[in-house]
Amino acid sequence: MSESGNRIKQAGLATVFLGPAVFFFILIIVFPFISGIYYSFTEWNGVNATPIWVGINNFQQILFHDTQFFTSLWFTFRFTVTTLVITNVLAFGFAMVLIQPLRTKVLLRTIFFLPNVIGGVLLGFIWRFILVNGFSTIGEITKLSFFALPWLGSPETGFWGLVIVYTWRSVGYLMIIYIAHLLNIDTELMEAAHMDGAGGVYMFTRIIVPLSMPAITVCLFLALSWTFKSFDIVLSLTSGGPFRSTETVALNIYLEAFRYGNYGVGSAKSILYFLVVGVITLFQVRQTKKMEVEA
Amino acid sequence: MKKMLLGLIFLLSIGFLFAAGNKEEQKTTPRELNLYHFKVSQVEQWDQLVKEYAKVEPGVKLVVETVGGAADWTTTLKTKFASGNGPDIFVVDGPALANTFSEYLSDLSDQPWVSHAVESAKRPMTFEGKLMGMPFNLEGYGFIYNKKIFRDAGITKTPGTVQELRDAAEKIEAMGITPFGNGYSEWWVIGMHLMNIPFATLQDPASFSTALDNGTASIADNAIFNSFKETFDLTIKYGNKNPLTTDHNAQMTLFNTGQVAMVQQGNWKEVGIYEANPDAEVGLLPIPVNNDPAVSGRIPVGVPFYWVVNKESDMKDDAKKFLNWMVSSEVGQRYITEEFGYIPAFDNIKSDSLGGLSQDILTYASKGKTVPWSFTTWHDGMYNEFSEHAQRYVADKISYSEMLKRMQESWVKLAE
Amino acid sequence: MIQVRRRTIVGVMELGMVLIAMLFLAPFYFVVVNSLKPFGEILKNAASLPRIIAWSNYTNAFSKIKFLSVFSNSIFITSLSILFLVIIGSMASWWMVRKNTKFNGLMFFAFVAAMVTPFQSIMIPLMRVVTDFHLLNSRIGLILVYLGYSTPFTVFLYHGFIKSVPIQMEEAALIDGCNIFQIFLYIVIPMIRSMTITVIILQTLLIWNDFLLPLLILSKRSLHTIPLAVFSFFGQYTNRWDYALATLVLGMFPIVIFFLFMQKYVIAGVRSGSVKG
Repeated sequence: MSESGNRIKQAGLATVFLGPAVFFFILIIVFPFISGIYYSFTEWNGVNATPIWVGINNFQQILFHDTQFFTSLWFTFRFTVTTLVITNVLAFGFAMVLIQPLRTKVLLRTIFFLPNVIGGVLLGFIWRFILVNGFSTIGEITKLSFFALPWLGSPETGFWGLVIVYTWRSVGYLMIIYIAHLLNIDTELMEAAHMDGAGGVYMFTRIIVPLSMPAITVCLFLALSWTFKSFDIVLSLTSGGPFRSTETVALNIYLEAFRYGNYGVGSAKSILYFLVVGVITLFQVRQTKKMEVEA
Repeated sequence: MKKMLLGLIFLLSIGFLFAAGNKEEQKTTPRELNLYHFKVSQVEQWDQLVKEYAKVEPGVKLVVETVGGAADWTTTLKTKFASGNGPDIFVVDGPALANTFSEYLSDLSDQPWVSHAVESAKRPMTFEGKLMGMPFNLEGYGFIYNKKIFRDAGITKTPGTVQELRDAAEKIEAMGITPFGNGYSEWWVIGMHLMNIPFATLQDPASFSTALDNGTASIADNAIFNSFKETFDLTIKYGNKNPLTTDHNAQMTLFNTGQVAMVQQGNWKEVGIYEANPDAEVGLLPIPVNNDPAVSGRIPVGVPFYWVVNKESDMKDDAKKFLNWMVSSEVGQRYITEEFGYIPAFDNIKSDSLGGLSQDILTYASKGKTVPWSFTTWHDGMYNEFSEHAQRYVADKISYSEMLKRMQESWVKLAE
Repeated sequence: MIQVRRRTIVGVMELGMVLIAMLFLAPFYFVVVNSLKPFGEILKNAASLPRIIAWSNYTNAFSKIKFLSVFSNSIFITSLSILFLVIIGSMASWWMVRKNTKFNGLMFFAFVAAMVTPFQSIMIPLMRVVTDFHLLNSRIGLILVYLGYSTPFTVFLYHGFIKSVPIQMEEAALIDGCNIFQIFLYIVIPMIRSMTITVIILQTLLIWNDFLLPLLILSKRSLHTIPLAVFSFFGQYTNRWDYALATLVLGMFPIVIFFLFMQKYVIAGVRSGSVKG
């Protein structure tokens, strides 16, 4: 077969295999995102027929006058790091235990996974009730100061309230991915190490964790992608309050575009945020990839 | 593998069957009149109403979409318009939102119902002499109070001024009951309804807004805003623990279980109160701003939403016809008063089946002791900002004068 | 000795996990208990057990939202979306892993970047696309949107997994004269089965629980899905917790059963998968 014939064939096959996914992706995400770039240079309330071109005004306004945006950015960052660490440590731990021959393991896996069957907004409402009413009742009965805190009523309790709910929500999900990968780890390798007299700590840090690196990459990134764009639970749990201290960037963008009626500024914020997050994500994926290779 | 393929073909054929079925359904229906509102509690009544209207106008099929508060109905509405799918009839909650949709509003001034609509209900939606929206009903808010607790505490006169309210609160507290159940975690309780009180009590709220826009007026220097500190402090001092964690559900739980005597809410909570205690004795108190009985003691009464007709719609005339039918026909009027339980905003619709809160609102209205819902005219996003500042004050992070200063700054920022 | 010690450790761990699990279940106590109370009682005390069991919440919710209709809509949309997502996602990922071109690398980065983009930032332009392509008020339309919206996550999951699948068997099959489609069907698909199960579970949850896209695309009530039905009981100033929670429980059952059912395959899939070769 000639060189060019082969190329055509390759292109044809690429269209068959890659085409549908790329087509829908471009239509549903890339194209709207690019239109969003156009809106970021306009003044538009999201409703009127014609947006007004304003150049880089929106960007200037955000960068030089919008302190709340940076407050949200900082909050989102702190929230992401905290949740990322807690959920992954717990999920990995749960997975390690639940691959042991426990009698209740199927039941336990199901229970930990159960929070995922409730959608985000409703979950926020339910937890709001528990944190506000349930915790105060428990606090009165047990006299434990932890429960008597003004849950969701101060910036600190708002932050930790969100961390608790996100952890409760995501641990089971990540656990499933860890379990799938852990079950795939070559048991012979572990047996061999065990025979050689390797201790628990050695087994864990030198064999199990390195071999789970692909799963860790996936789970870290997943947790990152959820918390970076966390919106619905935040909206129904704290609505960003009290006094906008728990406002995530996604919520800030939403409020700007839809409550304040500045769709153009909202779009500009999305673009800026996309750049920030894109760099962080790229860095994170590269970093864990490197560790995978080394392992 | 074969099984999988067979399954796939099966699912696909179901898919196309359903899809085909849908299209046919669309062809055979009469002209559709699309209506959008946010009162999720009225879905069933609207289903009935659709049937009633089909009897009157067989050529028009009313298609009602209801998007609730949890889903943020304004966002959904904006998205519909932005993508070119605006409904024929929809609701706006006041002039600020009407401004956002100004390109799409029809002039309703020539409609037959206009002369019957209550004057104060028409004013907010009148732009350059043209009436752009149809009111349906009136709502009011204030401190919902438990009449039994008030009686037990020996409060004989309903408090109208801050001093009277303070006396009442002291008596209630002496009984071991918390006077106020504050739902200050809710932006609309604190940022919208509460902050409306000093604003609306001003002589002329509309020109105050304009003056704020121009920078010729100041919230921080205003006497009413400053004296309102006493009321605000009163609710905090004699209020429930952790007001910033309390949302409207928790607030009503406190009230329904008799743990608090008063909650700042409105007659939309009436149904829930009677569901919890069928023999509840409740009334509505005004939120005072000072000790002058001539100024304080007014209930903010407003129109929670207006019906507007999409100017771009092909069904404009059918839409106007339907709205007129709602407020002029016997069936439509019955729905407004009985099925929806509304205080009608029309002088030709009589209602006699109202609960305690609604009756109090009517009493205050008949004496002219009302103030407007000024928040409906505030710039987009103002409630969020006001609630942010007021929550900081409740949390003791800033002083009252700092709160007023920040409110002023927010106004200037959002007026741009 | 070691065996005994090990068993005690496992026993202690099990006990600990059961305790944590009970903590995890606490919110469900609230959901189930309140779904059985009359509305007035929820408003008074939401933490207590119901004094009278109000089954009527369930029967009312069932008829109010036309449960069978919303249920079949949810099933229809979720199953078809998942089916096509798995097909196009696995094909694309395999191609991208095996053909390491610049374009494929760029596409993968685009997919990853899309996963961290907040939905709100593409919402309005996306709805324009939906309108222009006549996808509004059509379940098929919503499914097509999911194909685009959920592809990045699907590809992300498959991509990582396929990288760990050895290429030798595919090469052997190629030498034996298999064409690329045969290799994909008979070699690749069986090898990535356990990831397919994971993708099915995770995506099913996302689509089954999704609220915003159905809200925006399916405005006709006859097309509503379960999350839309649950939210039809929440207003701006008032919430009908009684019906909302009953609907939520009704909608939760199928997904829990589905998960229990798929769980078997997670393990079976991993064991029978000839990944290690």
